[in-house]
Order: sequence, then C-alpha cells, then structure tokens
Amino acid sequence: MECCLSHHEQMLEDKIKGIDNPYRKTHERVFKILDRIEGLTPSIDIQRALYFTKSMQKTEGQHLTLRWAKALYNIAENITVYIDEDSLLCGRAGAEGRYGILYPELDGDFLDLAVKELPTRESSPFTITQEDADIVVHEIAPYWKGKTYHESLNKAFSDETHALTYDDADGLHSRYIVNETSSFRSCLQWVHDYEVVLKRGFGGIRAEMQEKLEALDPFSPIDNTEKKPFIEAVITVCDAIILWANRHADLAEKMAAEEKDETRKAELLEMARICRKVPEQPAETFHEAVQSQWFTQMFSRLEQKTGTIVSNGRMDQYLYPFYEKDVEEGRLDELKAMELIECMFVGMAQFIDLYISPQGGDFNEGYAHWEAVTIGGQNKNGVDSTNELSYLFLRSKREFPHHYPDLAARIHARSPQRFLAEIAETVKEGSGFPKLINDEEVIPLHLAKGAKFEEIYDYAISGCAEIRMPNRDTYTSGCPYINFAAAVEMVLYNGKMLKYGDEQLAPATGDPCDFKSFDEFLEAYTVQHRNLLKHGFAQQARVIALRKNHFAAPLADAMHALCRKHCIDIHQPDVPEGIDLGYFEVIGFGTVVDSLAAIKKLVFDDKKLTMQQVIEACKADFKGHEDVQALLKTAPCYGNNDEYADDLGKYVDSLSVEFAEKYQAELGVHLDVRYVPFTSHVPFGRVVSATPNGRVAWYPLSDGSSASHGADKNGPTAILMSNYTTKNFNHRERAARLVNIKFTPKCLEGEEGTQKLVDFIRAYCDLRLWHIQFNVINADTLIKAQKNPEQYRNLIVRIAGYSAYFCDLSKDLQDDLIARTAHETL
Amino acid sequence: MSSILDKKTTGTVFSVQKYSVHDGPGIRTIVFMKGCPLHCAWCSNPESQKFIPQIAYNRNNCIGADKCSHCIKHCTSGGVTVGEDGKVDINHELIQDEYTLAEVCPGNAIIVYGEEQSVDKILKRVEEDERFYARSGGGLTLSGGEPFAQPEFALALLREARRRHINTAVETCGQAPWEVIEPCLPFVNSFLFDIKTMDDDKHKAMTGHTGKRIRENLIKIREAYPSMSIRVRTPVIPDFNDSVEDIRAIIEFVESLPGEKCEYEALPFHRMGQPKYTNLGLEYQYADIVKLDDTLVAQIKDLEEKYKNSL
Repeated sequence: MECCLSHHEQMLEDKIKGIDNPYRKTHERVFKILDRIEGLTPSIDIQRALYFTKSMQKTEGQHLTLRWAKALYNIAENITVYIDEDSLLCGRAGAEGRYGILYPELDGDFLDLAVKELPTRESSPFTITQEDADIVVHEIAPYWKGKTYHESLNKAFSDETHALTYDDADGLHSRYIVNETSSFRSCLQWVHDYEVVLKRGFGGIRAEMQEKLEALDPFSPIDNTEKKPFIEAVITVCDAIILWANRHADLAEKMAAEEKDETRKAELLEMARICRKVPEQPAETFHEAVQSQWFTQMFSRLEQKTGTIVSNGRMDQYLYPFYEKDVEEGRLDELKAMELIECMFVGMAQFIDLYISPQGGDFNEGYAHWEAVTIGGQNKNGVDSTNELSYLFLRSKREFPHHYPDLAARIHARSPQRFLAEIAETVKEGSGFPKLINDEEVIPLHLAKGAKFEEIYDYAISGCAEIRMPNRDTYTSGCPYINFAAAVEMVLYNGKMLKYGDEQLAPATGDPCDFKSFDEFLEAYTVQHRNLLKHGFAQQARVIALRKNHFAAPLADAMHALCRKHCIDIHQPDVPEGIDLGYFEVIGFGTVVDSLAAIKKLVFDDKKLTMQQVIEACKADFKGHEDVQALLKTAPCYGNNDEYADDLGKYVDSLSVEFAEKYQAELGVHLDVRYVPFTSHVPFGRVVSATPNGRVAWYPLSDGSSASHGADKNGPTAILMSNYTTKNFNHRERAARLVNIKFTPKCLEGEEGTQKLVDFIRAYCDLRLWHIQFNVINADTLIKAQKNPEQYRNLIVRIAGYSAYFCDLSKDLQDDLIARTAHETL
Repeated sequence: MSSILDKKTTGTVFSVQKYSVHDGPGIRTIVFMKGCPLHCAWCSNPESQKFIPQIAYNRNNCIGADKCSHCIKHCTSGGVTVGEDGKVDINHELIQDEYTLAEVCPGNAIIVYGEEQSVDKILKRVEEDERFYARSGGGLTLSGGEPFAQPEFALALLREARRRHINTAVETCGQAPWEVIEPCLPFVNSFLFDIKTMDDDKHKAMTGHTGKRIRENLIKIREAYPSMSIRVRTPVIPDFNDSVEDIRAIIEFVESLPGEKCEYEALPFHRMGQPKYTNLGLEYQYADIVKLDDTLVAQIKDLEEKYKNSL
C-alpha cells in the first residue's frame, strides 16, 4: 500500500546502509571494475594530442585525409596500450581510470590557457600532471596557433553576426545568443556502419580500396590528386587500426606469460587470439564481434571528437547473428553475453567527453556523453526487429546500475507488448533508461526528406535524440544554438539586452509601450526571431565553407559506403548521393511562449497590467514589483494543453520552420528545427534578464520542448498534448524534440503501474512525438543528495536526454532539477 | 433528453485532474464535484464538502503586504489584516462572500474553490486526453464531494459522456436517494463505492449518517446490474475503523452481495489534505497522525489478498 522509493533509490539507500547490490553476484566482474573507477576525478591523457600533432607537423601540404590517416598511424604505433585488470575487452584511448583526451586541431589556439584552468573550474574539473601540462603548453599548442578551424571561423563572420556569436574579439567566449557549436567538436553526433567491420573486417575494406586504387585512370588529374590520396588514406587507416589491435595482442600474450592465476591466464590468451584476428578479419564469435566493435569505436574516438561521442548504432541487430550462433553452439549464455557487453559499458564509462572550452563544458555538464546504443525498432523490410538481445540489453540496464551507455529504444505502433512492458519495468528501476524514439514520427518525416524506405527503416539513434542512416547521412557540421528568449528581451528593450548594456545587438523594433495591440508586440517578436535566424543561417554558411579545409575522418570514411564509392571524405560538403541532415537548436521555447502569453493576457486582453509596468518590473528583476511578477505567473503557460498558450507556441514554431523552408536550400543542406538543449538552457539563461513570464534574471531557460520550470501543472498527458498541438506537422523542416517526463514511483507502482506506463508510451507513439524520456525519482531524494553528496555520489538523474551523476552537476543545475514539477499523484 | 440540453446543464466543480491512475481503470481524468451529504472528519478533500464556492487562503503564496496590498484595499468586511511577518491574515468567517478578493490577488494566495461549469465545457477538457483513454481503457471519473448530490448535472454529464463514447466511472459515498442513482446507471461503466464501516453508530457519529442507505444502494445497484464493475473501497482511519474486525466485517458484506464478485480495496489513511484545512480556516483533527501502524497495514493487506483470491 505504500511505496515511496524507486528501485534505484532503494539501491542507494541499501548502499548507505551497507547492504550490497543484489545483482553483484551475476555481474561480479564489472562491479569490480566499477568500484575502482567510481568517484575518481578524471585525468587528461595527452598522448593522442602529442602523436597527432607530431605527424601533422611532418605532412603539411599533403591531401588532408591522407594527413589525418598518417597521424592516426602515428598514434596507433606509439600510444601506450593497456589491458585493464579483470576486463575481457581491451582498447583504451588513454590512461587508466576515468580520462579525457585532447584534440588540439579544434582548440589549439587556447589550449594552453584552458589547461591551466581545467583542474579548478566549477563544472566538470580534470586533473593533469605538471609534466604533461608543460608538453601541452610548449610542444602541442604552439603548432596549432593560427591554424585552427576556430580561428578561421572567428575571422569569417560579419561584425553583426560576430556580435551575436562571440563575447570577445578572439571568439573564446560565447555570447549565448546565436551560438556556434562547430568549433568544439569535429563532427556532429554520428553512427558508423559497424556491421561492415564485423562482416568484412578492415582487411576486407582494405582489399576493396586496393582494387579501387588499381582501377584508377593513371593519367586522370582528379584520380591522381583527389582519389588516389583518399584511397591511400583509407588503406593507411585500415593498417593503423590493425596495427593497434596487434599491439594489444602482443601485450596480452606478454601478460599471460607472467600471469599466475590460471583462469586469468586463459582469458588473456583468448584475448590475444581475438586481437590478432579482429578487427582485421570478419568476426565469428560474439566475443570477437564485441571486441571488434570496441576497437573500432575507440579508434574512432582517437580519430576525432564526435559530438556527444560516437554512438553505437543498432547493437541488438548487428550483434544478434553472433549471439544466436554462439548460443546455439553452446559457447555462450545470457550471463556471459551480458558480461561481455558490460565490459564494453564500463569502458565507455571511463572515457570522458572532455570539453576544453568553457562553452563546451557548459553544454555538457557532468561529463555528459551519449554514446547511444539502439535497441528495438523495425528491420529494413519494415517488420518489428526486437530480439533476445534487445531484452538482454534491458535486463543489463536493470541489473547493472550505470548510466553508460545511453540506452535508446526505438518504438513503433507494432512494438510487442513484452518489449514495452520490459521498457516500462526498466524505466521504473529509476535511472531513466531507456529513452524512446518514435518510428511513427521519424520514418515518414525522413521519407519526405529524401530517404529510401530500407534506409530509414534501419535508422539508428545517435547522440542525445537524433537519428542516423549510417550509409546515407553525410552532414557532419555542428550547427547554431539560438537563444529565442533573447529575442523576447530584444523586443522589450528595442534591440538591446540588459546583459550587454547599450550595444544595439538587433534591429530596433520600437518602444513596446507604444504598441496598441498584442499583434504589434507579436510582430516585433517576429522581427527579432527572424533576425536571430538570419544570423544563425549566415553563421552556418561560413561553417560549411570552412570546415572542409580543417577536418577529415578516414576511419569514418572506411565505414561509409558513399565515401568509399566516391573516394571523398565525409567532412567534404558535397558527398554525392548523401542526405545532409542538419538542424538548429531552439533554446527557451517555453520561456518565449509563456512570456508572449503573459503579455497578451495581462496587458492586452485583461488589461490588468500596462506594458510600462511589465518592463519596469523586468528591468528591476521584479524587486519591488513582486505583485507584478506574481500576476505574470498566473498567465496561461505552455505544457498544460492550454489553447491560449499553445496557439502562440505553434506560431513561434512556424516562424522557425518557415524560415528553414525558405533558406536551407541555399545552404544545400537540411537545417531543420530542433528542441534538444543538452544542459545548455542553463548557460543560455545566464545572459537573459528577467522575462515577462515571471522568470527572474539569469535563471535557466525552459528545456527543449518541455514546459518552463514548474509551469506544467496539468500532469504528463498535458505536456505531451502541448507538444503535439504546437508542432507544425505540415512541414518537413522538423527535427528532434526532446520531452522529459518525471514520475514519482507511486504512479508506476505494481503491475498495474507498469501497464499504465505502457499505455502512456503507446499514446505517445500515437501522437507522433519524436522522443520521450522518463525520470522516476522524488524531489526529496534530490534535496537529500544535494545536502549529503558523499552519500549519494552514484545517484543518477536524467537531464535533457542523458543521465549523469547528480553530484557531478553544479548547484545551479541541481536546483534546476529540484525545481521541476514532479507529477505527484497522491 | 437531448444532447443539446445535456451539454448546457451546469454544476459546481472544484477541480479537473488529468492523469489519474488510481481511480478506476486506465489513465483517467477526474472531475471533482462540489458538495457532499457526509461530513467525514478525516476527509482529504475538505473543499469538497460544501455545495457553494468557498474562499481559501494559501499563506505560503502571499508575497507580503509591503509588496502587494490589493486584497487589503478591496476588502470591505475587515477580514483581511496584516500579520507580524508582513503576510496577510484572513478571517474566513468575515470574508466568506468576498469572492472578488481572489480576483485581485495576483499570487494565487486567495483562491475560490468551486465554479459553475457546463457539461460541454467539462467534457471538452476531458476529451483532450482521449488518446490516453483509448490506449489504457481509461476515461472520465466523477468524484467529489458526492457526484449524486448534484443529480441533474451528474446525469447529464454521464449521459453526454456515453454519447461521446467516453468510459465513465463514478466514485461515490453511496449516500443518495435511489431515485437519483437509478437513472444514471445505464451510463456508468464502473463504480468506486465507499463502505466505511458496518457499525452504524460509528458511521453516524463520524459522518453524520448511518451506513444503512449506502449499503441498500450498493445492493440495489448489484441487483439491477449484476455484472457492473464495482470496486468497494474503505478508507482506513485511525480510531474509527482501523481494526481487522472492521475490515473483515466489510469484506463479509461485500462477499454477501448478489451478482458478480466486486473488487475490494482498503485505502490507508494519509494526511495529505492537511494544508487544505488550514487554507479553508478549518481545524484538522488528524494533523499529527503520520501513518497507520505497519502491522495493521500488513494484516489488512492480507485480508484484501485473501478476498481477492477467494472464488
């Protein structure tokens, strides 16, 4: 009759009381590894940066893709290789424990400054030895000064665009108005075609490229200067990863020779055998397949900084044939299979997505990364493809309480009841996994964007909430994040913002006190909204033009059918036959809608306030105007299925989709409208003064397509309905929309609770909403954790599409979480 | 009766709550109707008891008389004063008719419970979540107060809901004339029916009425609709019916009912209604009781299970 702790909370309480995790016995190996790494402050490993730089110094002037491949070969040859105690898999990109690596080609211009600040910064600190810091400052950073993409980009903007993008002349700090995100990562979230590696091996890919090389026209200038070096690059990178794997085999053999424990000795010898074989050759067993995939994704991390870290694709699909065969032939059971994939997961947990720039750190607080593992969905023929491995991944998530990987389930109208019920059971465990992506929205939308059925039926979830078709997607440029709450402020102050003083940042749309109707106010907002879009799109035009000169990814090319076919690198803007799926981010949607609704209702409809009063109150951050603030908060808000607010929401969304429809063709890519903020609604909030929805100055903006904090008073169904009613379904310029729903355990109690969550998910699927994730916890737990972080160090919460250790977050963000409305049904 | 007339029928409602998962099958929307013939001292919805709209004051939401004095300026009865901490204090007796105070209060501190609304308006809100009902077998739950205490409104709501193919449940205390209940029955899919105790003296002392008519009504519903889905519920209240004997007696009564077996559920006492008593200026005699004895709860759970598993 009573139930107030979620399963996840119960495990934490047990840990405090000294009661051990009930699943430890069946997951002994990974618990041991986890116990060693948990709570360690991450360190920085500089080897990747050093060997990359040293090679790049020697290859100036050559074809960029080939230079990149040679640099990777240099890394493969020289980087320290490790075999972790107890693990059955090997392949690390750096030192033992939790670690991050450096990509000086991205941020070499300010790397030296940043390295000095990293150990002490408030959000997500890192440790680095003095010796390594010296190498960064004296050997690595100097080479990159004047050569980085970031420096080119900073110089490429018009004054107006620059003023909305960067806060300083060097472009080190963001203005958080029209924010560029292409300079803190080399690639958008991404998914490789891992299947090609498992089936053919890099040896097979190498052979294909060798044939291509021999088939080139020996007299063609293009073949000789573009295709030939490209092919050589792919061959070089195949050699590099094979070399790297073999160095692990050498080490495993050496360790086996010294090992006293016979069991471990046998494990090491088996690992050595596997590392000799994969990823060069096709995998034949489940263990080989998992190791081959792991080497590949780790080498991909060495290759480039992929936004949110490269995703894992449809793991339950491409691993299934190996699982099925091994089980049939008696080599494998569920526990053994879970042990192998969990060795991979603890490896993921240790690799931290290090952001050097303060901006990158703000975007991804709590060392967030989203190496999505996709389960469920449909096969290329449009038939449900849930299998035993899909269920095994869910079971692992229930029993092995860790927030990596980011487990993501594809659901559709015909998803089996068992799959949804097990998803619901897993969500109820309280760590918020899996997140869900809806085929019923994604598939028709991408058909309209030019995908073929068999491509989009086979999509994988990528990063936080996006999707990829691994052999069809060809767009890798990070895109603008636009602060539309700033547009509201620009209406109030005639093109200025309180944070930036007298600077005329945007068009003067007039003194709002002179507006005679709400339509005039909305017109002024429209002008400001479009102005920010104008600069966002201009920014992206420069991004597209410049990135091709700075980035290449031969390993990614080796796994991409179109790159191999056309002998062109994935970062080039004109890969033939590809679909370029980009998006710009709408920040502060709820804040904007609620502010417009408050002005409409209180100033123009009910006339309870004058515009003068609202502006004076906002200017004063409501100090001395608390009655005005209280009244503003009574206006209808987005997230309540209230027509008054949602109609405005649909209008605001239409401004974005219509602009995208009109101008994206000029860019030659899709630049669609997305609502997925990571944790960036917090830093974006820090530049926006008090807003007419009663939000105080510098407070976080609303998050994704969720309601403003505490504004959603009608429960979770209303949040979904508001999302539904504010979407412009007649436009294909839509991209991901992230929805967070928080439940207290009581709502989901028992079998009946499970079924009601399943029903809720089915209704969400019917509504064709893109993404949903659930947070099952109560606010009291969060408050307790804030007060006693030591006791709650492994408390996992979900924020904007991912999970993080609550205690890794800044106080600001912890408060944000606590403030969100919990859907209590008492 | 025509749909047009039903849609225009009005009644007093104090809340419409979406995503209810504990009051009938599936995901539901509860319409709380105002007014109840019983006056249970433990009631967790004290704002539901009176039939007329009521002013409530949530002192936490008052932003202070130094920042806002709209209520003080508008009050004509002298029922609004300033407390020591700068927030206003309300004399509920003096201001009970001054509904405009709620309109001028910007901070949701002074509010009115209860508003006259039409069947059409209510059902439009209810229909907003139709996707969730379709998937979960949920729908509309009428609760209160006592739905049958507003007979025309309840009938019109239920009949119009049926026309719109909305699943209906009624949560009732059972204290109503049979003539009121009977015409509604064709439009009800399920009942949540409270039986509080089999001891009529206790019943009268704590609710104002004996349980006699309540039990008769339940028997009559069962006779008229032997297969109607009915869940009998008992709020387990300290010093009232918190004994194995009380619960066992109720279960025995439920077992003796004609027709198909009813479901049975004991609802442990909670004091979540406490702040509402304060806001309405009422005393709450259960304020200090945190929860029922764990052993008792386990024993009751056991009885519940035994009943559930019996044939």
